[in-house]
Formats: sequence, C-alpha cells, structure tokens
Amino acid sequence: MAKMIAEQALVERFRRGDDSAFDGIVQRHAADVAALANRLLGWPQDVDDVVQDVFLAAFTGLRKFRGDCGLRTWLFTITVNMCRRRQRRRGFRIRTMAIDEDCPDLCAEESAERAAMDNETFARIRRAVRALPPKYGEVVVLRYLQGLETSEMCELLGITVNAMQVRLTRAREQLRESLGELIEEKT
Amino acid sequence: MNEEQIKSLLEDADRAAGPPQYGAVRARDIRLRLRRRRSIAIAAPAAAAAILLCGVALWNRRPHPQEPAAEPQERIASLEEQVRQLQSQTETTMRLVQEVLAKERQERRLAALQDELASIPDPAQELQRQADKTAFVLVYQADRMIRELNQTESAVETYEQVIRLFPQSRSADVARERLAQIRNQRFKKSPMEGESRCEPHKSPSSV
Repeated sequence: MAKMIAEQALVERFRRGDDSAFDGIVQRHAADVAALANRLLGWPQDVDDVVQDVFLAAFTGLRKFRGDCGLRTWLFTITVNMCRRRQRRRGFRIRTMAIDEDCPDLCAEESAERAAMDNETFARIRRAVRALPPKYGEVVVLRYLQGLETSEMCELLGITVNAMQVRLTRAREQLRESLGELIEEKT
Repeated sequence: MNEEQIKSLLEDADRAAGPPQYGAVRARDIRLRLRRRRSIAIAAPAAAAAILLCGVALWNRRPHPQEPAAEPQERIASLEEQVRQLQSQTETTMRLVQEVLAKERQERRLAALQDELASIPDPAQELQRQADKTAFVLVYQADRMIRELNQTESAVETYEQVIRLFPQSRSADVARERLAQIRNQRFKKSPMEGESRCEPHKSPSSV
C-alpha cells in the first residue's frame, strides 16, 4: 500500500513537471520491464530499443494515467503491446535468429559436459516457449516467470479469468507435448 | 507435468539465459527524442507539401491545347529547371532529417560517455587511497617484523620510511607512535644496562 502511495506521489510530481519523478519511476520499474520484454521476445538479450520505446510511451501517456491499476501493471501493458507490435513487424526474422543464436553461445561458454547438457535443455525449453502462439506465450511468461496474480494478468491482457485459464491450459498442453520427454527424463 | 514442474523448468531456463541488456533511460533524453520526433513530423509534411506545390505548378505550366505550342527546347529547359528545384528541395529535407538523426545519435553517445565518466573514480582520490593503502601495508609489515621476527632495526627503518614517504597519512601517525614506543623502551632499557655494567661480575665460583 505504501508503495502504491509512493508511486502515486511520483506520478503527481511528474504531472506538475518534475522530470526527476519520472527518473524515479524508471529506476523502480526498468529492470522489470526489461525482463518482461526479454522473455516475451524470446530471450534476445538486447532489449534496449523496447525499453526505450516503453518509457517513451509512458512519458507521453503518464499525464493521462488515472491510477485505476498499479503503475507496474500499466507499464507491463505497454510492454506487452510493444512486444506484440515488434513481433508482428518482424516476427519471422526474430524467431529464426533467436533459435540459431542459442547453441553456439551457450556451448562456447560451458566446457563441462554436464553443463553443456543443461544448457541445451534450457535452450530447448526456451525454444518451446518461443514456439507457442503469442497469446499463450504471454500468459506463460506473465504467470510463471513474472509471477503475476490472475487478476493482474486479466487486467493487463484485457481478458476474462475464464479466457485466461483456457489460454493457460492450452499453453501447458503444448508445452507438455514439446517437453514431455524431458520431464520423463527428469522424473 | 504439473504446474510446479513447468514453473521450475521455465525459471531455470530463464535464469540460464542471463539478464537482459538495456541502456539508461532518462526523462531528459526522452524529452529530446520527443522534440526531434516533432520536428521530423513537421519537416516531412512540409517537404511533401512543397513537392506537391511544385508538381501543381508544373502541371499548370503545361501548355494548354488552344495555346500555341512552346518551343521544345524552352519546354525541356523549363522542365529541367523544375526537376532541379524539386531535387534541391528533396535534398534539403533529407539533409535536415539526417542532421536530426545524427544529432540524436551524438546525444545518445554523449549521454553514454557521461555515464561512463561518472562511473570513473577521481584520479586524485584514487592515488590518495593507494598511498594510504601502501602506508598501511608497510606499517603492518613492520609490526610483524617486531612481533614475529624480533627485527626491531628493520621495523624502525620501515616506520621512518612511512613517515618520510607518506607524512600526511594516518599510518604515518601510527608509525610515529610506534617509533616513540620503541625509543621509550630503549630509553628505559639503557639505564638498566648501565647499572648491570657497574654491578660486580658474579663468578660461578662465588655462587
């Protein structure tokens, strides 16, 4: 609650023309926004452009922010929209590049066989998430990696709880199909 | 596969991918970017309008059917002139856009350099820190010489060296203190030695 009040105070200060308040907002949320963008775009690592665009949009839209939802939820909504737009614009290129990039990078870093095997497994999991349709990928990332609550996710994605549950179930099914063998190995 | 398993697998995979990379975002930079966007948004339609006007002018200058046809050479020359004007306008607009973009790049670079500069420590402070560290290490070594090796002379030399080389440091004060202690000990010890010299030597037979 105290956090929300502090954020509201920052927004008010920004509305009154205090730029340092915006810097405070960036400082609080930049890491979360970058992490979410990185996951939604399939772990490309360099997400500077998206983060810049998100905060540019936030800068122009913050005066209209009513405070109906949390500032973090609002920024996450912008991030999800930015990532959707980016994926639509050059989805194919990102997907193929991202898949190619995983192996050499990780294999070069790890020398031990076990570590290399682990890396390959993790790369496979990331590929499975990337292969999900965007709407399923979003719910998986928001629920399991960002750890958002159901209500917050629904607010963020603009969908009902039922729709969210359906998406989550289907996403899990698809992940089970592509990673089932891996789970057997683990168990 | 239950939810917990999926979550744990995804978290591991995410952790293995490493943290994302992104640059600093500041309100000042965003304001600049917005200003540049606005200027581009104004310049581009202005250029388009200029080109359109030129096109309309060109169209109007077209000879009407009832008018006697102008000399072909004159018409070609006039068309060439108009094309040149159009080209120059387009070039001007393009130059403007490129200048704005170059300026934006420069400012981003400048901001990054300023950040780097801010992260570099002050050289004078760094030197002072290194000097203090060296003085501290010397005093520590001298203390060990006395304590563990009983090499008081070498330790005294080292303390003096510290006082000479780093007179303003805190370790120099410590070195002075140590020297004073050593001198006091010697002073106390030397009269005792004098007394012992004066004392009659006890031969083993007298015992």
